[in-house]
Amino acid sequence: MVVLALPAAAAVAVFGSLYGAAARVYLGVPLTLASSLLVYSGALQFALVALLGVGATVLPLLLTTVVLNLRHLVLGAALRSRFESGPRRRALLAFFLVDETFGFAIAAGNTAEPPAVGATTERTLLVAGLTLWIAWLIGTLVGVMGGGLAAVEHVAGAIFPVLFIGLAALAVRRPSHVVRALAAAVLTAAVAVLLPDLKMLAPVIAGVLVALPGREP
Amino acid sequence: MSPLVLVAIALITYGSRAAAVVLLPRPSPRFEVVLSRIPAAIFASLATATLLGDGGALAGVPVLAAAAGALLASPARSLLLCLVGGAIGYAAGAWLG
Repeated sequence: MVVLALPAAAAVAVFGSLYGAAARVYLGVPLTLASSLLVYSGALQFALVALLGVGATVLPLLLTTVVLNLRHLVLGAALRSRFESGPRRRALLAFFLVDETFGFAIAAGNTAEPPAVGATTERTLLVAGLTLWIAWLIGTLVGVMGGGLAAVEHVAGAIFPVLFIGLAALAVRRPSHVVRALAAAVLTAAVAVLLPDLKMLAPVIAGVLVALPGREP
Repeated sequence: MSPLVLVAIALITYGSRAAAVVLLPRPSPRFEVVLSRIPAAIFASLATATLLGDGGALAGVPVLAAAAGALLASPARSLLLCLVGGAIGYAAGAWLG
């Protein structure tokens, strides 16, 4: 599973370079590097740069941070039932919880034998998280040094939908999950078209809404 | 943006990640059933979101073809095959487009 994270890491590095090149204009080199080191959230960091670009003050930056991070509550809750370690180790693992690492961890846990689900999920989250974090940092460093990889942005942009489709396929455990996944995709597309400001939150909102109805496992 | 604001953003982000992972007790079986339905739905939604730009505009032909290739490979339930299917789709889309 970790080897399969390498294409995602390459794509993350490309986007990291684009982030580094864009953010250094508004943040300067030290804060740009610090942001990737401490925040480790591509969607949020790009959104913050966009806000800084239109002259946003502190409050919009913090509100955007809160809103975009709401999805972590759902991802964390979905992972929590698989974790078996104590709060200290879970606190360490939490730093590495991003959309992609959540996917790798869930997929790895789904393929593990029942007694090994917890350890496999935690190990995958840690290793995939470290891999993508390092890729994000390297990409940011390349970007702030003026080496943006814009030429391969389109190729990198194709990796994420492919990755998420593959992770969805791995996460399906029952036929009803396919129906729910399709419903969530349609709901997300509708939100993206009708309420574009909610596009970043749409996946989590749709994921939760389609998960609630029904009594079947 | 000052270093202090950056630290606040980092703390909010980490707090949102840790809130459920660290503080939430192990969920009840009923809640666990609901949670087990979420990952596939979220990934399908994320895939959809990455295929749509501002105002719902579709991504370019190669990206759509890559997604189609991955979708065709998805019944195999193998991430590797999905990546291969996506690569073939992207190449075909780039060639056609």
